[in-house]
Amino acid sequence: MRLLLVEDDPTLRDQLRAGLQEAGYAVDAADDGRDAHHLGDTEAYDAVVLDLGLPLLDGLSVLRRWRDAGRAMPVLVLTARDNWSEKVAGIDAGADDYLTKPFHMEELLARLRGLIRRAAGQASPVLRCGELALDTRSGRVTLAGQAVTLTSHEYKVLDYLMHRPGAVVSRSELTEHIYAQDFDRDSNTIEVFVGRLRKKLPPGLIETVRGQGYRLAVV
Amino acid sequence: MKRWPAAGSLRLRLLGATLVTLALALTGAHAWLAGLFRDHVMRQADLALTQQLDQLTARLEFDAQGRPGLGPRAMSDPRWDRPYSGLYWQIEPLHGGSGGRAEALRSRSLWDGSLQLPADALADGTLHRHDIAGPRGEALRALERSLQAPEPFDSRWRLIVAGDLHDATAAVERFTGVLAASLAGLGLLLALAAVAQVAVGLAPLRTLQQSLQQLRAGRRQRLEGRFPTEVQPLIDDFNGVLERNAVIVERARAQAGNLAHALKTPLAILRHAALQAGPGEFPALVAEQVDTAQRHLDWHLARARAAATPHVPGQRTELEPVLRGLLRTMGKLHADRRLDLAADAVAPGLAFAGEAQDLQEMLGNLLDNACRSARGSVTVQAARDGPWLHIEVQDDGPGIAPEQRAAVLQRGVRLDETSAGSGLGLAIVVDLARLYGGDLTLGQAAAGGLGARLTLPAAP
Repeated sequence: MRLLLVEDDPTLRDQLRAGLQEAGYAVDAADDGRDAHHLGDTEAYDAVVLDLGLPLLDGLSVLRRWRDAGRAMPVLVLTARDNWSEKVAGIDAGADDYLTKPFHMEELLARLRGLIRRAAGQASPVLRCGELALDTRSGRVTLAGQAVTLTSHEYKVLDYLMHRPGAVVSRSELTEHIYAQDFDRDSNTIEVFVGRLRKKLPPGLIETVRGQGYRLAVV
Repeated sequence: MKRWPAAGSLRLRLLGATLVTLALALTGAHAWLAGLFRDHVMRQADLALTQQLDQLTARLEFDAQGRPGLGPRAMSDPRWDRPYSGLYWQIEPLHGGSGGRAEALRSRSLWDGSLQLPADALADGTLHRHDIAGPRGEALRALERSLQAPEPFDSRWRLIVAGDLHDATAAVERFTGVLAASLAGLGLLLALAAVAQVAVGLAPLRTLQQSLQQLRAGRRQRLEGRFPTEVQPLIDDFNGVLERNAVIVERARAQAGNLAHALKTPLAILRHAALQAGPGEFPALVAEQVDTAQRHLDWHLARARAAATPHVPGQRTELEPVLRGLLRTMGKLHADRRLDLAADAVAPGLAFAGEAQDLQEMLGNLLDNACRSARGSVTVQAARDGPWLHIEVQDDGPGIAPEQRAAVLQRGVRLDETSAGSGLGLAIVVDLARLYGGDLTLGQAAAGGLGARLTLPAAP
């Protein structure tokens, strides 16, 4: 899953980036409103962590512009201003969740997981596909109750696919959502990860749709 | 709200002074004019009697024995001869002279009566005036003069003419009656004019009063309208104070927000640094102190934001839009819980006599609290009861035991608790509600959870 992190304080930005990456997210970071607006407008993100007090263009304006342009990715607003009036203004501008500083990293991660899951139409924090289960909270994958050991890249690919069961996901889409912007992308590596995953999972679970991409078989 | 000391109504004072002066002036005028007329009428009556007395004196003759008698030419007025006509004469001897045994002479009109005058000592030629009772008890004005019989007689005589005062007093009474009626009419007209004058003169003050009421009710933010030059400077100054007040409150809010922003980002950094440092005594201390600092910060910021607000008059916040906005927000913030948030029992048009942000803060905390504890549903009810607005937020969660409810509402109790993100909200709500003269009470909801009942001043 790929996130956009918008925070103008460099120390907090680095801490958050580190925390989010540790949790398995690919993270792009922006430190001002204009930059943030551009990235959110052009790149595909699974969620955005948006600070409201930003230079050049304030966070609420950035959010409104995205929503006006039809960008629907879930946005978690992060701010020091915790009046309910500001929270209402944030939600009405199109935010999906609100977290006030100072906050606990675990809470931010939990809320992000919830946002991404709900955006994909999944109600439970444990994603299931037949006997395969992926617990988004712990990052554990089990097959008929037996733990499956995955590398972080394999996990990211499976995580993305399991959020969209039955949908065709192209290789470029997978690449976009698994790597950060500054990463040297090579869609061939995706094939490698999918190949390894297929060996660890029941045969036929990840289908190849010729010329289009992959699909997680709905059992 | 402090009331001005009672000094009575300005209208009553003006009207009272005018009407009292008017009554005194008209009563005085009546007394003076009536007196003037009475004097005039009496003088006329006296003048007529004096002429009659002069005529009587002129006709008086004495015979050879010195007995008085009237000459051949009769007295001209027919009333002298008509019995009890109201005009009488009488000639009686004065004792002490030589004619002491002589008979008194009387006009025919006296019939068998006589004029009873008090004894009097008269110098020759002077006129004396008496008010006496006539033969039939009527009020008479009597004029008398004394006369020395001619030589060689040594007798003195008392010549008396008396006339009925009835006509004169009737004229005076008629006049004073008409005068009183016309003065009363004049007084009534003047009183009406005074009432109209006071009403016109004080009309701007009534406009001002209405404007103030609207301000207090929150329908206006300043005193509207043009006022007379005597009042306008006061209005301008008052509006100036209101505007400055609003600016100061706004600035205080902005500064509180800026302070929050300035302090909370460093706190967030400290917390994450402590987290990243891994387990240990020092990181634990930092994390704990950051939590404490955050709670103090939240508490005092909420207080600072609220402190100035209730003293600003003219505030009115519609309940429904605020509630809808908060419910939308709660729906998103607690999306995972998939709660049923209902505010069906909130009548439109209810309004809070206070600041929008404060209402949002109180309701936001109550709703957030309810959403955190609810199992499946949160309901909001609101109703107006006279000057108060009652808002009840209920959830179907575990609730709070009766013996713990008071403690939850106490200031500072939750400040020292270590669990983050809960508890402080209710204490802030109580604090804000009490600043507005309202209150927060906790009870049991119908669905079994907590029922938080917020009482706030209602705006009309």
